[in-house]
Amino acid sequence: MNFLWYLVVRLGGALATIIVGSFLIFLIMQLAPGDPALTVLGDAATTETIAAFREEHGLDQPIIVQYAIWLEKAIQGDLGNSIALAGKFPISELLGNRLPVTIFIGIYGLAIALVISLTAGTIAALRHGKLADTVATSIAVLGISMPDFWLSYVLILAFALSFTWFPSYGFTTPAQDFFGAFYSGFLPALAIAAPMAGVFARILRASLLETARKEYVTAARSFGFAAPFVFMHYVFRNAIIPFVTVVGLQVRYLLGGVVIIERIFGISGMGSLMVDAAFGRDYPVVQACALTFLGIVLTVNLVVDIACAMLDPRRTH
Amino acid sequence: MTKSDLTGIDRRSFLRTTAAAGAATVLTGSMLSRVALGQQRGGTLRAALLGFNVVNTLDPQKAILNSDFWALSTMFNALVKFDGQMKIVPDLAENWSISPDLTTYTFNLRKGVKFHDGGEMTAEDVKFSLDRIRNPDIKVPNQKKFEKITAIDIVNKYTVRIKTSEPFAPLLTFLSSMPTGAQIISKTAFGKIGEEGFAKNPVGTGAFKIKEWRANEKLVFVAHKDYFEKGMPYLDGVDLLLIAEETSGITAILGGQIDLASTAPFADVPKLEKDPNITVTKVPGFNNRFMAMNLTKPPFNDVNFRRALSMSIERPAIVEAVLFGEGRPLAGAIPAALPWAYTKSRDICTFNPERAKAELAKSSVKPGTEVKVITWGSGWWKRWTEIVCAQVNQVLGMKFSPEVLEANVAFQKFRANDMEAQNTGWIGRVELDEYLGELFHSKGARNFNGYSNPKVDTIIEASRREFDQAKRGDLARQAEDIIAEEVALLFCFNANAHSMMSKKVKGFVALPSQSLGSQFPPVSLG
Repeated sequence: MNFLWYLVVRLGGALATIIVGSFLIFLIMQLAPGDPALTVLGDAATTETIAAFREEHGLDQPIIVQYAIWLEKAIQGDLGNSIALAGKFPISELLGNRLPVTIFIGIYGLAIALVISLTAGTIAALRHGKLADTVATSIAVLGISMPDFWLSYVLILAFALSFTWFPSYGFTTPAQDFFGAFYSGFLPALAIAAPMAGVFARILRASLLETARKEYVTAARSFGFAAPFVFMHYVFRNAIIPFVTVVGLQVRYLLGGVVIIERIFGISGMGSLMVDAAFGRDYPVVQACALTFLGIVLTVNLVVDIACAMLDPRRTH
Repeated sequence: MTKSDLTGIDRRSFLRTTAAAGAATVLTGSMLSRVALGQQRGGTLRAALLGFNVVNTLDPQKAILNSDFWALSTMFNALVKFDGQMKIVPDLAENWSISPDLTTYTFNLRKGVKFHDGGEMTAEDVKFSLDRIRNPDIKVPNQKKFEKITAIDIVNKYTVRIKTSEPFAPLLTFLSSMPTGAQIISKTAFGKIGEEGFAKNPVGTGAFKIKEWRANEKLVFVAHKDYFEKGMPYLDGVDLLLIAEETSGITAILGGQIDLASTAPFADVPKLEKDPNITVTKVPGFNNRFMAMNLTKPPFNDVNFRRALSMSIERPAIVEAVLFGEGRPLAGAIPAALPWAYTKSRDICTFNPERAKAELAKSSVKPGTEVKVITWGSGWWKRWTEIVCAQVNQVLGMKFSPEVLEANVAFQKFRANDMEAQNTGWIGRVELDEYLGELFHSKGARNFNGYSNPKVDTIIEASRREFDQAKRGDLARQAEDIIAEEVALLFCFNANAHSMMSKKVKGFVALPSQSLGSQFPPVSLG
C-alpha cells in the first residue's frame, strides 16, 4: 500500500511538473527576441507577408490564448504542425522519426558506458592503490576531460578516415537495418559513452570503497563468508544505489545534450531537432520536444527511484 | 604563382577548373558529352546542401529560402535557365522573342514535355504557374519581382505571351530557374492534390521526381524517365542531405559518405584541393558582404564619418584573414559574377589612413565613439567583424566592438533598422537589380537602413528599362559610384562560390549562384 501511495504521489508530481514546465517553455520562447516569420519568409519578407504569416499560425493572438489552444490540442494528442523548420509537417511525424533514433543511440551509448564503467570501476576498487586502479582511474579522468566534439573528430579521423572501419558520417536507423544501426552508430555511441563511463566508473569505485569499509561488511567477513559472496551481496548491492541514481541523471544528457555529436555524425535525433527549432523560432516544435524530454526525464527518474526503492526497501518507508 | 585578379585563383587551377566547366557546359545536352566525359548510367548521387538544415516547401511559388530553391530545382524547370557561363538559354521555352517596344514577350514552348505524372506541359500550365505567383492572396515576397506583368495570355497550346506595363529588363532573369518562383508546375496535379499536398509531393517537369522527404534531414529523388532532354538524367536517383555543419560535410565527403557538396568551408579549400580523391570547383560567387549602418541616426547619418570608415579598413587583409584568399575586396554592391556591371576598385573603398583621418576631421563624430557591430555565429562572421572593428579602432581611434547575436535576432534587427551597425550580406541572387534597385532605390524591397538619393533612384529606374547589357552595366556603375561615395553600405568583400565532389562525379557544372538541383541532369557517377 505504501509503495502504491508513493507511486501515486510521484505520478501526480510528474503531471504538475509537465503542465507548469510546458507553460514556462511556451512563455520563454514567445518572449525571446526573434521571429519564425523571418525564418520562413527570409530576407525579402515584407510587412504584409509577415502579418499574413502571423495570422495564419495564430501568432497574433495573446500568449495565454495561444497556450490554451496549444494545451487543448496537446491533451487530445495533437501537437500541431511545424511552422518554420519543416514545411508544415505534423510534429508527431517529426517526433516519430527522431525519437527512436535518439532512444537507440542513447541506449547504445549508455550500454557501452555501463560495460566500461562496471568493469573499470570494479577493477579499480578491487585493486585499490595498485597499478590497475591507477590505470582505470586515469582512463576515467581522461574520459571525463575529453570534450565530446573533440573525441568525435578523433574517432572519425582514426576509425573512419585512416582505417575506414566505420562510416564518417550518416546513421542507418534500426528500422532500415537493425545490424547496420549498430555498425553506423558505433562511433557516435562511443563518443557519447566516454564521458559518461568516466563519471560512472569513478562513482562506482568511490561507492564500492566506501561500502567495503562499512561495519556490516567487516561483520560478514568475520562470519567467514567467501570474499566473492561478501562482495556481491554486501558490498556491490549497496554500492550500486548511488551509481544507479547517477546513471538516471545522465538520461537528460542523452536526450538533449548530444546535439554536437548528432551534428558531427549526421544523426537526426531529438537534440538537433529541438536546437534547430529553437534557432528557427519554430515554437510548436520546441514545445513538443520539450514536452517529450520532460516526459521521458520524469519517467526515467521515476523508474530510477523505483529501482532504488527495490534495491533499498528502506526508501519507501 | 600568379593569381587571377577576378577570381583570386591561381592560373593553373583556374585553367583546370574553367576548362572542365567549359567542356562540360559546351557538351552538355548532347550525346557527345557522354562520350567525351565517358559518362556511365545508373546509381544514386548522394549530394548535400551544406550549412542548411531547413527546406521549408517544395512549392516553387511559395518557396523563399535559397535552400528551398536549390532543392526544388531538382524537380522543376522554368521557361528559361542559366548555362554554365550564366547566359540565359532555353529551358521549357524552345525560343522567345521580345516586341520592339520591349513590353511583350512571346515564348514558344517545347512540345511533348511530360510532367512527373505523365501529363503534358502546355501553355495552360505556364499561365497557371505565373499567375499563381502574381496572385495577391498568396503573399510571397517574390511577388514584387513580377509586378510589372500586366497579362499572361495563352496564344495557343504551345505559345504564351507575357505583357509588361513598361520595359523591364530584369524580367527574363526572374522568369528563369533561379530563386524567384517562376518554375512551371502542373495545373492538373495541383488541382487534384491541393496546395498543402503539392508542397510535399510536387509535380514538375524536372529530371527527378520526389520519392521521400524527411523533414529537416534529407530529400530522396528518383529519375523522371520521360524527362524532355534526351538521354538524361544519367542517374537513377539523388539523395539530397541537409548537413548543417560544414565540417561534417568535409568528413562525409572524405569518408565517401557523400559524393557532392554545395559548398566548401573557406579555410579547408587549400587542403581539399590537394586531396587526390576530391575535386573542388570555384568561381566568383553571387554574394556581397558589407557592414550595414543605420543611416537615420548618429554617428552613421554623417556621410564624412562613413567615408572615413570606408577608407580605414584594409579589405585585402580581410579577404586573406577571413576567406583565406577565397574571394576579393568589394568596391561596390555588385559582385564579380556580374562582370558586365562589376567595378573592381574605387578610391573610396581603398585603404588610405590619411584620407580617412581627414574625412573624420570633417565629420561631427569624435574619436572614442562607441559602436556595437552586430554579427552572429562563432565562425568567419565573427572573425570578420572583429577585424573590421580592430582596423577602424586602430586607424580612427574609435571604440567599435562586435556584438554576437543569434542569426534570427540579428536579421530581425537588420530588417527593422534596430541597430547601429551590422556585418551581413546577400547571397544567391543573380539579377543586377537584386544588388542595386532592391538595396538602394528609395522604395527598394531590401533597402532597410534608410538610404535615399533621388538621383540614384532615377539611374536605377533607367537601368531597369535598358535592355542593352553594356549600357545597363554603365548605368549600374553610375549609380554605384554615387552609392560608394556616400558609403550607403560599407562594402567589404565578395567570396568565391565552391562546391566539392568526389572524383567519380562527372558532368557537374558549378554555377556562381550555387544552385544545385538544376545541375543534376548531366551528372553521372563514373
